Amino acid sequence: MSAMAKMSEEQALVERFRRGDDSAFDRIVERHSAELAAMANRLLGWPGDVDDVVQDVFVAAFRGLRTFRGQCGLRTWLFTIAINKCRSRRYRRRLRLVRVKDLEAVAGLDHGGDKAAIDEEQSARVRRAVQVLPQKYREVVVLRYLQGLEIAEICELLGTRVNAVQVRLNRARKRLKEQLGDLLEEKS
Amino acid sequence: MSEEQIKKLLQEADVTARRPVFNPVAAGRIRQRIHRRQVVRSGALAAAAAVVVLAATLWIVCMQRQKPQAQQRIASLETQVRELQAQTNATLKLVQEVLERDRQERHLASLEAQLSSIPEPMVEIERQVDRTAFLLVYQADKLYKELNQTDSAVAAYKEVIQLFPKNQWADVARERLAQIEKRQINQSDKQGETRCKPGTA
Repeated sequence: MSAMAKMSEEQALVERFRRGDDSAFDRIVERHSAELAAMANRLLGWPGDVDDVVQDVFVAAFRGLRTFRGQCGLRTWLFTIAINKCRSRRYRRRLRLVRVKDLEAVAGLDHGGDKAAIDEEQSARVRRAVQVLPQKYREVVVLRYLQGLEIAEICELLGTRVNAVQVRLNRARKRLKEQLGDLLEEKS
Repeated sequence: MSEEQIKKLLQEADVTARRPVFNPVAAGRIRQRIHRRQVVRSGALAAAAAVVVLAATLWIVCMQRQKPQAQQRIASLETQVRELQAQTNATLKLVQEVLERDRQERHLASLEAQLSSIPEPMVEIERQVDRTAFLLVYQADKLYKELNQTDSAVAAYKEVIQLFPKNQWADVARERLAQIEKRQINQSDKQGETRCKPGTA
């Protein structure tokens, strides 16, 4: 399905929802929930259980859809809500506890054992490195490299300029290299 | 260590991470949640309204209990206010009277000052009389001494005595008349002596 057709279908769904057709909302949830869940999972540091966040996003969407004017695509709009929900959730969680020691523990792991276990350790280390990035760097890294969004889309989502997104990506990469330099060398 | 390497590393880490747990057919649950929230919100609103109504009722009851006391207090306050108003009116009236009296006194003082600047009429008349009498005596003196018109001078002196008998210049006129008479007598005596002397005819 082309992007234009997808857009017009989404607009039609929004229109149906505004007219009171609840099945349109079911369709929207069905269409975007997996993607939103994946993004929320990544932005929140791969906790796995993102049911609450996704539900919060759709609750906010349910309320806001009647006033949604369509300045951007429905997907972009839902992503923006999800990013905001993740920000507030992370902030609340950070207020409760900062578990920086976990990263140190992962970084200091013994690299002995079988290959699968070593790969898992390395992946966990990478995820931790992303997790401890400052919010503005973590968001662009997740959106660009894991969600595969274009720079323009990221600008629209975060409400920033192209230059700012590129600077954030550069700085995030620099930090990741500092943290994961040995892994990158091994891979190369 | 290119961007691609980092991307690959991140994607590998993402693949091995825990998959997000999310029920794909959760729209119904979301609607239930919204409905629940609406119920909770409306319940909270109802509870808040009930609390407000209760508080208002309690307040009204308290006010009704306090009403007689409040009314008495209001009545006493009204009386006090009326008394204060009467006192204020009396004081204002007094002040107005004092101011009016002061104004009148000042007006009187100014009138007296004006009056004092006007000369006394009798004194003025006396001054004029004195002046006229003096002028008549002066003219008579001139007639007698410089022009040697004794008859006219005598008539003028007599006029002064007749017109202003009590004036100081009337006394002067009398003295002059006496002098003139004395001189005339002396002259007539001298003429008689010269006629009577033998050898003088």
